[in-house]
Amino acid sequence: MPPNRSTVERLDRPSTYATSKRRRRYRAPDEHTRRPPSPDPEEKLKDATTLYVGNLSFYTTEEQIHELFSKCGEIKRLVMGLDRFQKTPCGFCFVEYYNHQDALDCMKYIGGTKLDERIIRTDLDEGFAEGRQYGRGKSGGQVRDEYRDTFDPGRGGYGRSMDDEGF
Amino acid sequence: MIQLTLEQPFRIPYVALVAVYTNSVQPDITAEAIKRVAARTQETLNNGQWAEFKLLLRFLACLQSVFEDDGIFTILQQLFDTVVDLQSANENDVVGIELVKIILLTIPYTLVSGGSRFHEHAQKILEKTEIVANNMLPMEGLIHTYANPGEDGEMPMAYHSVIGLLQNQLTREAEAGWTLSFIRPFLAFPAEAVKVTEPKSHSLPAFTIPSPVNPGPNDLFPESYFSLYTGQDIESVPSLDHLAASLIRDSIVDTIDQLDFNREAVAKFLVDMDRFWVTEKFARRGTNFEKFKELVKGGEKIWKLEDILVEAIFSQLFKLPNPAHKLVYYHSVITECCKIAPSAIAPSLGRAIRTVYKNLPVLDLELAYRFLDWFAHHVSNFEFRWRWQEWLDDLSLSNLHPRKAFIMAALEREIRLSFSKRVRSTIPEEMHYLIPERLDEDKSPDFKYDNEATPYAKEGRDLLAHLRKKGSSEDFKEVITRIQEQASQQGVADPLVPAADAFMTAICRAGAKSLSHVLSCIERGKEQLLSIANESEAARRQIAASVVEYWKDQSGVAVRIIDLLLNYTVLTPMAVVQWALGDHLGAGEALAKAWVFEAVFNTVLKVTKRNRSIIVARLSADLPQDQLPLVEATLAKDRDNARELFKYIEDTLRGLAQGGDTLLEAESSGAVSADDGKLIRAWAVRWHRVFTRKAQVEEAVVGEEAVEARVKLLAAGSEAKPEPMDQDIKAEAANGGDAEMS
Repeated sequence: MPPNRSTVERLDRPSTYATSKRRRRYRAPDEHTRRPPSPDPEEKLKDATTLYVGNLSFYTTEEQIHELFSKCGEIKRLVMGLDRFQKTPCGFCFVEYYNHQDALDCMKYIGGTKLDERIIRTDLDEGFAEGRQYGRGKSGGQVRDEYRDTFDPGRGGYGRSMDDEGF
Repeated sequence: MIQLTLEQPFRIPYVALVAVYTNSVQPDITAEAIKRVAARTQETLNNGQWAEFKLLLRFLACLQSVFEDDGIFTILQQLFDTVVDLQSANENDVVGIELVKIILLTIPYTLVSGGSRFHEHAQKILEKTEIVANNMLPMEGLIHTYANPGEDGEMPMAYHSVIGLLQNQLTREAEAGWTLSFIRPFLAFPAEAVKVTEPKSHSLPAFTIPSPVNPGPNDLFPESYFSLYTGQDIESVPSLDHLAASLIRDSIVDTIDQLDFNREAVAKFLVDMDRFWVTEKFARRGTNFEKFKELVKGGEKIWKLEDILVEAIFSQLFKLPNPAHKLVYYHSVITECCKIAPSAIAPSLGRAIRTVYKNLPVLDLELAYRFLDWFAHHVSNFEFRWRWQEWLDDLSLSNLHPRKAFIMAALEREIRLSFSKRVRSTIPEEMHYLIPERLDEDKSPDFKYDNEATPYAKEGRDLLAHLRKKGSSEDFKEVITRIQEQASQQGVADPLVPAADAFMTAICRAGAKSLSHVLSCIERGKEQLLSIANESEAARRQIAASVVEYWKDQSGVAVRIIDLLLNYTVLTPMAVVQWALGDHLGAGEALAKAWVFEAVFNTVLKVTKRNRSIIVARLSADLPQDQLPLVEATLAKDRDNARELFKYIEDTLRGLAQGGDTLLEAESSGAVSADDGKLIRAWAVRWHRVFTRKAQVEEAVVGEEAVEARVKLLAAGSEAKPEPMDQDIKAEAANGGDAEMS
């Protein structure tokens, strides 16, 4: 039986971020380098057991994350996202489960609910690799925290680049 | 159309009506629809997908008016014949129960479509199902929501099986001439739009019920009917003898369970649910409860949609022995409903919480634990708002009272998801003493070996130092040996016990910063931990004791570390259980602590999960023949281990429930009051019931007989290929607790 289209949207689909990664890779192959084609990301995510978790407070601890995310299954590994320079939490993490289904369930049941009184975001992820735990913003944290012009006490106040400009 | 039937079951009569109308315009289209649905129906029957089978059959039932002859009653009769076969082969058969439920739930829809000429058919089949529906299986004694642990507990409601209740409701409805007053009647297609000269009748496609019947991917159990609001002076939900109670519940529950991939859609459909029944039967949405009571007193025969919804979701959260989905799904549905219709849902939910809270002393303990977990998680999504003032009087109760124990555990759970200062700010001042200020300190718990007066203080600090500078296993070994030597000289019975204490406590301290830290410390010390644990069972239990002692103020962390140590096989399930229900039990006070239940429950779950995965391997179609003996041997061994574990738990708890030596002593010395003694024994009774049920469920799934039946089915051929219990494992895995959820 081929899978039928559902009558309402599914919450356990990867975001456009994951798919846009595909497009970048597919559209810009340098003809001269002749890289083998990357595997289809849908294919890569079909057994994904890792989730990217975003919009955490800088103060949210591993224990809090465990307490919530283990409601969807046993957690194999939890990697906190850190500020590249200060090595302090910077508002995201990777949660790895043992089973793909647990990761999907987490998308369905936990993504978009609150942890530490913030609505958190979950996305299927192809898997943690060393280096990805660090923020990629100029000042070490996440890029989104560079230019934010609203005050967010859970994420270090105003955007850091905003600070420079005299906010 | 099929997808809509399966995913939005409340629309089935309306979708079907379109097919009925089409028959007056383009009968070929109706014929094609019947053909396709019937093909899919047959498929679900072959696979034992009972929920889907039920819904597709309902679609066909709603087409009864366009079928020739007996229509749907042909297949209902066929199903019943199968039930008879199943029940005569095995008196404890559960597939037959599922089939009877499907038959009974199909009847009213058939009559709505088919009309009065089928009343007699319905009557006949009801007479047949009666015996099965009113039969009680032994298991049913253990799946009731409530159990009375003492002589003075008041039971909120008696046990009703879902099919027993349905049978009675249908019988009543039959006696009343099938008014089906709450189902929107099917209006005839306007005559002027009819395009065919003669209405075309279709024959119901023939169905084959596979033999043996495929029980399907989920483990089947009898179902208990749960209600929160029934039996109140003013009933806000259909009363238990009213068919609407079952039919509306069934429709809501299916909507929840079938659409688990979009909780937002579920919530949206739920708060709209009155539109799909006779709307006048419901009070206006969001009617204030006081106003509602007045309306009912004024003679209006109405129900409160919000109460029906909350009760339906709770029925799934409280489903025994296992919920259909991970419990957190139901949490999320409640959260969504509150977001969509806060002013309507929140007051109903508040009353639900009060009702459950009031009944805590007689609530099944596993359900009380689910309730606790849900409550803390729920309020964490809503600024931890709850009217604690209402419960202030209960603060004077003994800490062993189920309601007081709940308050303390709930605060602890809230803190796990947040932090102590924040939670304290959400509760009345009278309760602040329950969250002492020391919890606010942002530092690791004290290391007892920093105090010179602690025995082996120097060794404890040496171990910590070695752990911090990433010392080798030999470094640890050297200190551990020193402790052992000193202990022997001092005449300690098991010198490994103080060594285990020092080493594990040092690991906790070195890894106190976060779970990742403690994990890497365990990793560093695992060789010595394993060697200590494998040499002495007392030392093994001490490892659990040390973790809990170090993290006494943060049981969540303690439970998590115990879980890690189980994965490393430093701890064994038996050691954890023997520690919790032995060394740590005291006179029995430990049974009132939610985290002790959590630790034991998770440990048992880990064991059962493992056994389930062996069964999956055993029943895998591509298990190589030469591996069969190995799998069988593993299964036999692990099954015996599980039985031994359950036996220990059941024996210990039974002993305590019936008296308990330590408890009797404590009572006679006055250390424990008579009232507290009574409370402790009541806890023991409730604990005992949970693990007796768990043991029986395991027997029903991994017991020799159950496995043999599955193996036979496997051998019966590819036609009825069973998909071993994946689904079930999935649901149970994260559930109930959580080998994981700590």
